[in-house]
Amino acid sequence: MIAALALVAGLVAGLILHPTVPTWLEPYLPIAVVAALDAVFGGVRARLDGIFDAKVFVVSFVSNVVVAALIVFLGDKLGVGAQLSTAVVVVLGIRIFGNAAAIRRHVFRA
Amino acid sequence: MTSDRPEARRPASTQLLVDLVMNTRDPGYAAAAERRGDRSRRPWYEHAAVAGACVLLGFLLMVAYLHTHRGAPAAAKVHDSLVARVQAAERQDASLSAELSAVDAQLTAAQDRALPASGALVGQLHRDQALAGQLAVHGPGLEVELSDPPRPTASAATGRGGTTPIAATNILTDRDVRSVVNELWADGAEAIAVNGVRLTPVSAIRFAGEAVLVDFQPITSPYLIRAIGNANDLATGFAASDVASRYQTLSSAEGIGFTFRELATLSLPAGAPTTLRYAREPVPSAPSPSSSGAHR
Repeated sequence: MIAALALVAGLVAGLILHPTVPTWLEPYLPIAVVAALDAVFGGVRARLDGIFDAKVFVVSFVSNVVVAALIVFLGDKLGVGAQLSTAVVVVLGIRIFGNAAAIRRHVFRA
Repeated sequence: MTSDRPEARRPASTQLLVDLVMNTRDPGYAAAAERRGDRSRRPWYEHAAVAGACVLLGFLLMVAYLHTHRGAPAAAKVHDSLVARVQAAERQDASLSAELSAVDAQLTAAQDRALPASGALVGQLHRDQALAGQLAVHGPGLEVELSDPPRPTASAATGRGGTTPIAATNILTDRDVRSVVNELWADGAEAIAVNGVRLTPVSAIRFAGEAVLVDFQPITSPYLIRAIGNANDLATGFAASDVASRYQTLSSAEGIGFTFRELATLSLPAGAPTTLRYAREPVPSAPSPSSSGAHR
């Protein structure tokens, strides 16, 4: 409940503050979002499994975002930024999909 | 090759992939739960930390959304402004050519006043002007219509980057328009206009991008080529020509539109006045006998 309210508060804050994304940050924004989604789905699943831990959630959220952006940054410097972005998206996408499937099994028992 | 322990036989990279697909839950949660043991007491900061992370998540999502969707209108804005500039330039072009034809009409009127009302001189002048495409003319003639086949869909598969799919290319190019025009000249046409652009002796039919340019004015399919001349001769000559048979074949094979018909009256506009930049009339005061003799 608190989490949902906080999520809405974050959305509203983003809408109101309307920050300008610096150019150097632009390529990492989509990757950061996907990484954050991965952490969130992992957290929800852990919650449903009954082993949720706030510290693990926050640390995995922050580190996911930072590491994903870092990988893409490194790839950009090495000239394989696009390929590494694809790799990150594929890996995180598989994890999100697996976690979503687990959540589905919990919620619908199917 | 004993397969009793397949797990051990798997290379590390395969194991990684299997872990990735099968064990999607972060092992950190299980480890934390184990560390915590049976203690059901939650640390005091749990709610605050989760709330903070969720605020951050919502903020991130909204920023990414706004950023992505603010970029699209910017691109559309640039496109719109380019279109507006092109349209403004076209309007200016149209108004300038209107001005030009008005001035031209004044010039013709002044010329007519200056010259005797009838006579060999006026007749010669008007015939030369008509042949040079400087006067609007009307008379019987032939109308040829060439059109590209209808596109299957506006945006079909885009294909590989940097390539243009075959379906998106125009089948008809400047070459087709030019060959029809040349055939009509050969069949005895006296004046020709393509999509309302009168051809003068210095007209060029060219191709740029996807548009055919007639005297640097872009025209698009359907291409309407009107020629004034002896309608019967034009029609029979054109129908018997290689050009016509080629486009008949193309129209059945490729689906281009190709029709031609005789018309009792056609009227063609005057062409853009030609400005001679280099060609000069010979100076009459000092005719050189050797140079005039050389042309005889």
